[in-house]
Amino acid sequence: MTAFRAFQLPPGTRGFETAEIQAKGHLRARFSRAGGEALLRSLRRARATLCGRTSRDLAQSIGEVGRRFTEPGDPLRREAELKLPSEAGISPSMASLIIDGMARDWTPEPLERLLLADFQDPGILDNFRPDVEGQLSKAVGGSLAFHIGAGNLPGIGTTSIIRSLLVKCPVLLKPGRGDVTLPCLFVQALLESDPELAKAVAVVYWARGEGSDLEELAIHEADRVVAYGGTDLVRELRTRLPPTTPLVAYHHRLSIGAVAREHLDTLAQAEAVARKAARSVATFDQRGCVSPQIIWVEEGAPTKPVTWAKLLATELEVLAQEMPAGPIDKTVAAALQQLKATAELKGLAGMGDRVFGDAAGKGIVFFDPKTSGVTSLAGTGRTVVVKPIADLSQLSEVIRPASRTLQTLALDAPELRRRELEDPLATSGITRITTFKKQPWPAAWWRHDGTGPLQALVSWVVLEEND
Amino acid sequence: MAHVQPTDIYPPSDLAERRVTIRQALRTAMLLGNEDLRSDRLFNHLALQIFRYQVDANPVYRSLVQARHIDPSALTDWRDIPPVPARAFKELPLLSQDPRPVEATFRTSGTTTGLIGRGVHQVRDLSLYRDSLISTATRYLRPELQAPNRSSADTSTRMRILCLTPDLKECPDSSLIYMLHTWIDEWDDGGGCFLADPEWHVRTSDLREAIERSHLDKNQVLIAGTAFSFMHVLDRISKEGFPPLTAGSMVVETGGFKGRSRTVSRVKLYKAIADAFGISMARIVNEYGMTELLSQFYEPILLENGPEDPENRRHLGPPWVRTRILNPHTLHAVPSGHPGILCHIDLANLDSVAMVLTEDLAVAVGEGFRILGRAQDATPRGCSLIMEELLSISG
Repeated sequence: MTAFRAFQLPPGTRGFETAEIQAKGHLRARFSRAGGEALLRSLRRARATLCGRTSRDLAQSIGEVGRRFTEPGDPLRREAELKLPSEAGISPSMASLIIDGMARDWTPEPLERLLLADFQDPGILDNFRPDVEGQLSKAVGGSLAFHIGAGNLPGIGTTSIIRSLLVKCPVLLKPGRGDVTLPCLFVQALLESDPELAKAVAVVYWARGEGSDLEELAIHEADRVVAYGGTDLVRELRTRLPPTTPLVAYHHRLSIGAVAREHLDTLAQAEAVARKAARSVATFDQRGCVSPQIIWVEEGAPTKPVTWAKLLATELEVLAQEMPAGPIDKTVAAALQQLKATAELKGLAGMGDRVFGDAAGKGIVFFDPKTSGVTSLAGTGRTVVVKPIADLSQLSEVIRPASRTLQTLALDAPELRRRELEDPLATSGITRITTFKKQPWPAAWWRHDGTGPLQALVSWVVLEEND
Repeated sequence: MAHVQPTDIYPPSDLAERRVTIRQALRTAMLLGNEDLRSDRLFNHLALQIFRYQVDANPVYRSLVQARHIDPSALTDWRDIPPVPARAFKELPLLSQDPRPVEATFRTSGTTTGLIGRGVHQVRDLSLYRDSLISTATRYLRPELQAPNRSSADTSTRMRILCLTPDLKECPDSSLIYMLHTWIDEWDDGGGCFLADPEWHVRTSDLREAIERSHLDKNQVLIAGTAFSFMHVLDRISKEGFPPLTAGSMVVETGGFKGRSRTVSRVKLYKAIADAFGISMARIVNEYGMTELLSQFYEPILLENGPEDPENRRHLGPPWVRTRILNPHTLHAVPSGHPGILCHIDLANLDSVAMVLTEDLAVAVGEGFRILGRAQDATPRGCSLIMEELLSISG
């Protein structure tokens, strides 16, 4: 098998060498300093093309490329389905599911809705327009953005490229290790369908610390840096960036779930909730920022929280038939042994802890009898913590210690209860309240971690009246 | 296979007496340089005796043994003793019932990799820890002292112990610092000291002065510290480094990269240490220990004269510790030479639980093991916050 090109560059790019990384099946590009400078210059030049087109036109053209990934017979999609499992450590059925879920948002209509959600009048990216005060203003993306993914899930890099192009800013993407294929294929397709637009994007993968010249150049040359990664990466970037360069940091997040007692009245109801929750846990094998790491279950219903935890384990096991988990590496297996044996021992010592669903890869539910304590078992496959809560009105206080890291809450509760809880939750750090069913798949136009994703990429220029 | 002697089976009311017997056997092994425990039969005998004592004395452990349907009196091989996970030490008391108070509570500094937070080990009998650590350290760091008729009062064997850590007064819960303190008590010539502030920042100018003083006194030096402390020092010294250490000096690196954002390879670190202190790489020894165990492992390079290359070394423990390498998925022993997780039985853990399952990946090398780094094929992590990050943000 020939090595996969872990880069996709504008036509005519020179000044780099390629090297085959056999262990990864990658052909990687390594830029000389002069080559890196030339690449960034050519990206900047492509800004004129972007600015010469309307945002709606861009959404249409990009969306047509995105649509190819939604079509099962398309060779691009087939290639992605082939490469994703080993690249991201996921099962083939999960790869298809993730491509479906991600690519849905890369098609023309969701992209237009994203523009509308962030700007109301997307024409404000094309021309000066009056605001409510009659003040003329225009939203301007920079001349060059550097986007960095870190070990991420498939799809995030492509979404990031699309956002930058929509605000007319050329972009260099360094994708995450688990997300090299999709952005490379996306840009390759863009090159075929809209070669002028493709001149504004470069995707180059390098391992952290390996691409030093290009990395240093990009960090110093970019007008804006967007990073998806751990706290380490964000901390490091904050020290390396010039003080004038804005950093849009999507650091790792913690998502959770909560189940109201009204939905646990009968066993059938409790099972139905467990089935939906299991799907949210299984999607992304708990590695997504949207994945629910802890689920609080309200007490006072015929189905007790500990019983529901067991139901959840059963549903995870059933779901594993349809949607198998990715392989578990030795490090994760070692961590799971510690977690399982410790919980078992605590249970035996009368502390109330229980472990359900022992089968590796199918899903493990840890029941922790303590309501307080925000924890995360992310990175250990399909594992989830279930905790009891006397009343969901306490939830916003319980999660407050983790407020700066929280993101999505799947709240399985009757409408009236949701109404009661929404305001306290709005100040808890949670930025998205949804259901288990929707939890893995936020809309293209969601306020990503609490901010409009396109708004985060623009500066406003105001044009005051002539005297 | 060793058979259980009928005299081993005491009623639980004789716990104190049983403990005294076992403690005596350990003392003999630790302080008299008795090698009996190298024998499979004798090790097995003492290990099973300790296992039965722990089942009777430790209700939490007893419940685990019962849940596994193990009859302690029927067990004949120490390998069948059920382990407790290292993580459990911080979550619940794993201490034998005993009227004597806890003498020390050791905690791991900072966080470690992945999911395991601060380790905790309550120690009922510090003299056992002292006996264990000094005996093992002598074997691997100061083999010359093992010669017959040596006396710790013999001043010609004294050296200067410079510790790149805070003082025990500042960190009374650090088992590492307790160990270094014990080395000073046993081996130091009176000039040794602790050279870091309570934040673990090393006072490099004091370190330089201490090295210069050792030159005047013509004394050998032992510099001990975590990998992170050595990096801290290397980052701050100017290009010329320190005056070269006196011949016969050594550096003991005690690990400690875990949970730190910046790591360098051991080869790179050891080369830099060797250059900065003017010593051979073959005089830089790694000590591998964990809060949950009262015994330690060392690279036997001073005993065996090498190898220099840290990548080719292995770790060995004392005769009262045995280590198994287990498949992390099944917990069955891996075929020889295959990587797996370390499971130690440390008989010095008399008052807690002797059989401890760790999260550390390693491969067997001879009668020892070589620790492996995080698997190269590790799955990409995704964008969900892991526990370590949660602690670093909230903590």
